[in-house]
Amino acid sequence: MELECRRASLHRPGEDLHKRDEPSLQEAINLKLVESGEKEKLKDLLRERLIECGWKDELKAQCRAFTRKRGRSNVTIDELVRAITPKGRALVPDDVKAELLQRIRTFLLSVQF
Amino acid sequence: MVTKSSSPCYRPCEHLVDYKSKHSTRGFRALQRCIVVLPPGRPSVRTLSCDEDPVPRCASCAKSHGRLYACLICSTISCYSSSSSHARSHALELPGHELAIDLDRAELFCCICNDQVYDADFDWVVVCAHASSLAKCTSFSNGRTAPPLNVYSRKRNRGAEYKPWEPSSKDPLVLERGAAPLGLRGLTNMGSTCFMNSVLQALLHTPPLRSYFLGHCHNKAACQSKVCLGCDMDDMFAAAFSGDRTPYSPAQFLYRRYLFLFSFLNSWWQHAANLAGYEQQDAHDFFISAVEGIHANSQQPELRKGNDAECRCIVHRVFSGLLRSDVTCTACGFTSTKNDPCVDISLDLESTALEKQIYASSSTLLGCLDRFTRPERLGSNERFFCESCQSRQEAVKQMSVRKLPVVLCFHVKRFEHSAKNYRKVDTYVQFPLSLNMACYLSSSIARLRHGNRLIFVEGKGELGGDNDSGSTSPSSEFELFAVVSHSGKLDGGHYVAYLRLGGEWYKCDDAWITRVGESVVRATQAYMLYYVQRSLSDESSTTIPERFNQHQTLVLDEKIGYTSLLADAVQA
Repeated sequence: MELECRRASLHRPGEDLHKRDEPSLQEAINLKLVESGEKEKLKDLLRERLIECGWKDELKAQCRAFTRKRGRSNVTIDELVRAITPKGRALVPDDVKAELLQRIRTFLLSVQF
Repeated sequence: MVTKSSSPCYRPCEHLVDYKSKHSTRGFRALQRCIVVLPPGRPSVRTLSCDEDPVPRCASCAKSHGRLYACLICSTISCYSSSSSHARSHALELPGHELAIDLDRAELFCCICNDQVYDADFDWVVVCAHASSLAKCTSFSNGRTAPPLNVYSRKRNRGAEYKPWEPSSKDPLVLERGAAPLGLRGLTNMGSTCFMNSVLQALLHTPPLRSYFLGHCHNKAACQSKVCLGCDMDDMFAAAFSGDRTPYSPAQFLYRRYLFLFSFLNSWWQHAANLAGYEQQDAHDFFISAVEGIHANSQQPELRKGNDAECRCIVHRVFSGLLRSDVTCTACGFTSTKNDPCVDISLDLESTALEKQIYASSSTLLGCLDRFTRPERLGSNERFFCESCQSRQEAVKQMSVRKLPVVLCFHVKRFEHSAKNYRKVDTYVQFPLSLNMACYLSSSIARLRHGNRLIFVEGKGELGGDNDSGSTSPSSEFELFAVVSHSGKLDGGHYVAYLRLGGEWYKCDDAWITRVGESVVRATQAYMLYYVQRSLSDESSTTIPERFNQHQTLVLDEKIGYTSLLADAVQA
């Protein structure tokens, strides 16, 4: 699950390239999510929603189709992941995205940084 | 019990074979204690964690997201990505440590081959772990209780985890009350939309369609189209069978249909005229466009073929039959045969005085069918090109049913829109509740045409693979389940639907549904009749209509009379 958020405007353009000692905003959020166990909960929620809306079945079908086309012994996990990931991302329903973003937002508001 | 031998198509990699030969199943069985089953039934590996750091991390780079693998030999956790694989480095450094287990998924992974590998004994361990963890837990391991599943809420029911159902205290009450039949719900008239409402009522109670949509075979959530009649049908079925008896507005269907008409028929005037005045449309036209629309939005494009006869989309599987047309040259007797798919059978009402003498009057459905399948002499200005004579000849044409659909829809042609005529035929048409189509099948018709010539034995010659339908075969018996009738004049008339449910008839007049007696239905001016194959009908009638059988015999005799005349004429 990837967070898409803008880097804090603390950094001037050009300075982003260097690795800073302090974690970036994205990394800090991720750390917070992981430490509190919230990330695991969000992952579970996402899994549940994606099954409910049929996304998992759809992706399963796509994977099967891909594997069938290439031949079972000609496909590795990496190739499959690489081929299916863009489709999978595109097929996530908007309301699932919205719900998760809302949860993340709520969590961030409740947490001290 | 999982078989010890691996499937013949799968070959484990050399590293797995190596590992198995050295360690057999000891490593797997040790893992069994570590495998937990997280909701929704996903086996996963539980790692030892300390309080400061509850998450597993790669031993080399401390990464905690992405794919993590634990070595089967030394339990070292390493990360994997296609660009940098610490799991691979670990395996390269330490020979014998090639195999690892995916922490999130409990799958075996070979770090040298960079791919998942499979082993029956390992899978058996996972299954055992799964079973024992299920036995222990009573609620989800994260403490959440399952949300109640509302079967009819959008998007929340496809693929949901199975939960056993226990009847609640309300259920016996519902059964006892003898509630009105399921799925009976009025449809609001949105401005002369009775043409649509009546056909929709018939479709809502077409048994195979009902099963399809209530079974959520059209997955709305996964549907890619923005405009999808299939999704609208799904909505409508859900609404009709929701138990809510207040009238439902099939607004989406109406909107979509206009969009569909516009884009697929591309007829501006029709579109503009329709929208402008909400003019009364023809129910049969609507039925055809609805079928085409659902076909077009069928979610499995590989099932949709250009040829409707072979299309496996739900509407064609239900309504599509095959009509056969035989054109016989009067000079040499050569017959040219054509099979055309159809989703309904349109029947003419008019008959000449001569026809009235020979055939049962077309004021019955069977009479119309007789007329439909009778040999028809094509006029001298309609000569066809005979391949055997190599010249244009006068011909005789005969229609028959090559393949019966699951649901048979009859369209009684009451409306005439031609240049000279714009009128409605009000003739009353009598129709049976049970219908046997055996004598209208191509095999029956062909047999009658040629008598008992040996060259036309079953399976050979022009009969092809037709079933023996001289007798009443089960698939040619139909039961009536819906009638769409029209009352009033050509413009400004009104459509209602009659539905046969639970042995009773219900009149569906837009938003008003009333139970009516059979005599009311029999007296109505039928415009469209929907019959379903008896084996699928909810209402197989047990009485054999005596008069029906007699009528059938009478018709056959007359047919033989006419065709032997024809045979004489041909041989002359």
